[in-house]
Amino acid sequence: MDWRLITDDGVSASFGLAADEALAQRVGLNLSQPTLRLYTYQSYCALVGRFQNVENEIRVGYCHEKGITINRRPTGGGAIIMGADQLGVALTIPGRGDDSYSHARELMSNFSDGLLCGLNQLGVEARFRRKNDIEVNGKKLVGLGVYRAPSGGLLFHASMLVDLDIALMLRVLNTPFEKLSDKEIDTVAGRITTVRRETESNITLDEVRRVVTAGFASAFNVNLVPSGFASDELADIEKLEQGKYLSEDWVHQTTAVPDSNGSAKVKTPAGLIDVSVTTAGATIKAVFIGGDFFAAENAVADLEASLRWHTGQPEKVAATIEKIFQNRGSEFNGIRPEVMIEAVTKAVARARVAESQTRADPYGCYVNPGGAYA
Amino acid sequence: MSNQTNSYEIPTDRAYDREHHMWAQFDPASGDVFVGIDALGLTALGDLAYVTLKDVGKSVKRGESLGTLEAAKMTGDLIAPVTGVIFARNNMVVSNPGLVNQSPYVDGWMVVIKPSDWENESVQLVAGDDLPGWVDSEIKRYRSQGWID
Repeated sequence: MDWRLITDDGVSASFGLAADEALAQRVGLNLSQPTLRLYTYQSYCALVGRFQNVENEIRVGYCHEKGITINRRPTGGGAIIMGADQLGVALTIPGRGDDSYSHARELMSNFSDGLLCGLNQLGVEARFRRKNDIEVNGKKLVGLGVYRAPSGGLLFHASMLVDLDIALMLRVLNTPFEKLSDKEIDTVAGRITTVRRETESNITLDEVRRVVTAGFASAFNVNLVPSGFASDELADIEKLEQGKYLSEDWVHQTTAVPDSNGSAKVKTPAGLIDVSVTTAGATIKAVFIGGDFFAAENAVADLEASLRWHTGQPEKVAATIEKIFQNRGSEFNGIRPEVMIEAVTKAVARARVAESQTRADPYGCYVNPGGAYA
Repeated sequence: MSNQTNSYEIPTDRAYDREHHMWAQFDPASGDVFVGIDALGLTALGDLAYVTLKDVGKSVKRGESLGTLEAAKMTGDLIAPVTGVIFARNNMVVSNPGLVNQSPYVDGWMVVIKPSDWENESVQLVAGDDLPGWVDSEIKRYRSQGWID
């Protein structure tokens, strides 16, 4: 079977995102063939997840000062920066009507396999973490997302870090760090990795693109035929770009679910645990676990990743932490799971209290705050 | 009234969109249709983190978007099971999407639609005696596709 391969570089945020969404919609209507798109954005773009509030996630003033474009993805998850050293991977395939395509979780697994297969060719031993990361030794290398278009077409999207300017990323994104020191940069560097770091080489993005292409051909058992956008596709992309991705209403929309922050410190014989969380309603968006206890960096990163986009319900948080400790408890060097549970659930509870104190909810059940992009 | 199949509660007092797992409950007194997501669809999506709904007064068409969602497993659109005009929307689920997971058929309703063609469109939904067979086949389909365990 032939699938189309499109490679493009230095695209604008609005074009890149509109192209992915337009192809997902069209492939669900059988107007476009399944397509793997391997592309890069203009350096740099800051892209928030589908429902994030730009002002909460991005230092907007800094981006304006540096000419960094801000936009909003159709896929969920957290904010990212994209540029010449980050490979965008977008696979658009029909989501229904054809059994060979309809196994969504299997497809996600295959999608990951395409990336893992390519990375393995470079000697990088990466693994897929449900729901949305590919990691190497607990360090995030690829972020994944899925968007289902109204037509049923599916967009599997990934951002692969061939390289990353961590200091720049921390200046662009709103992070819990009050100041940007070498220590903070090192801390984040301990949670993230890149293809160049893992291969200890100055591998080019084109070389990474070549092995990812081979990986997808193998994982899906397809021929990837290099091609470009058809004229009717470009017309749809243009329409979507103008009507949506260049619209301030889309980029700067806000949600009714407020972000909130909470933190908790727990003293233990093995050291201090210092937990900061960001919640969106009842969902934990991000967790940062610090303090002065000794633990394997990968184990802490694993725990943090397990709690990202996780329900804040205490019993479910406890179950997830216990599961991690069952497998990696010894790597926490004397920190007991119940203490970690106490610290995380306290931080979440404080975030929820802060949210309830600041929440402005002037609308009744039948009154509607505006918004062009419901 | 409910049909308890393999622990997925599918009440029999309403109709369901076969493909998108949205429920539609017709109120004979007002002629309005309450709309939400069914338990099987929710299990496939996971916990909802965000929901948006179109404004009251907006027209929606069967098979097209009436709002959007971000769930644990994906982002996507909420698909209208019937055509009409949105008469009311549940802002409680917009500000607290977890309500939909907790109570999909009562507190977690999403919109009320004044339908323009309930008589013809309702026959395209599944209801009544057809429900048990449909639920069983959907559970098998979802399981085979890996959406549910």
